[in-house]
Amino acid sequence: MTVHNLYLFDRNGVCLHYSEWHRKKQAGIPKEEEYKLMYGMLFSIRSFVSKMSPLDMKDGFLSFQTSRYKLHYYETPTGIKVVMNTDLGVGPIRDVLHHIYSALYVEFVVKNPLCPLGQTVQSELFRSRLDSYVRSLPFFSARAG
Amino acid sequence: MADAVLFEFLHTEMVAELWAPDPDPGSGGKRRSLSVLEGLGFRVGQALGERLPLETPAFREELDALKFLCRDLWAAMFQKHMDGLRTNHQGTYVLQDNSFPLLVTMGSGPQYLEEAPKFLAFTCGLLCGALHTLGFQSLVTASVASLPACKFQVVIQKS
Repeated sequence: MTVHNLYLFDRNGVCLHYSEWHRKKQAGIPKEEEYKLMYGMLFSIRSFVSKMSPLDMKDGFLSFQTSRYKLHYYETPTGIKVVMNTDLGVGPIRDVLHHIYSALYVEFVVKNPLCPLGQTVQSELFRSRLDSYVRSLPFFSARAG
Repeated sequence: MADAVLFEFLHTEMVAELWAPDPDPGSGGKRRSLSVLEGLGFRVGQALGERLPLETPAFREELDALKFLCRDLWAAMFQKHMDGLRTNHQGTYVLQDNSFPLLVTMGSGPQYLEEAPKFLAFTCGLLCGALHTLGFQSLVTASVASLPACKFQVVIQKS
């Protein structure tokens, strides 16, 4: 099992943060274009899921998987979106994505008086805490996958 | 008591709005840096100095007042005790907080170090105001060598 990468978006589609750990294939387009493409896809998927669901939705869009990887999605009421790509063996990780939002983003970005909101995060503390947290996850392992 | 984060966010906005302007510059028009924030902190400190020691017997000595700041004032404002208190026994005290709550979310290390002093001015005033209420006149300054630790130097004025 492994973690490939992570995106953090705000409600306006700004990519607040991007990290990668085990990403074997790059998109081949500029990073800004990649962020827009990812955000646009998520926007459409979320809309699709809410419109096409045959039942009343409780949590909305949670994840999708292909034959090679799995994308996990978590959105806050404020529109912050935490997106993590992992390999296929990783189960639901809503609590992990929630932790990234509540214990890392809120704590070290929102509560940092020198971090303007709605812009790419510059805080080194946030970056290092996020990296440590992801590396400590039970499904983060460089040996597998 | 209100959630600590309410004060933290309000403090952030106070610094953003008030750290530069001083409507009453001194002689020569030179601005006394951060004085408005210190003034606000002073008034809050005066009130806390009156409100907090309800159950405490009167302070006999200067050192008792400083210990009160390190324990009771800090616990009320920042939900922790000051980490260290040193004195030269001639009216100068250094209060050390190794993890000052208003700096903790910025990081540890050189990033943001240059702007950190802005976030200490209110608290300098707080300490000065509390001491004033307790009968001691002081000059309080703060320094940050490495986030999130900071020191408040308190010099008691002899009257």
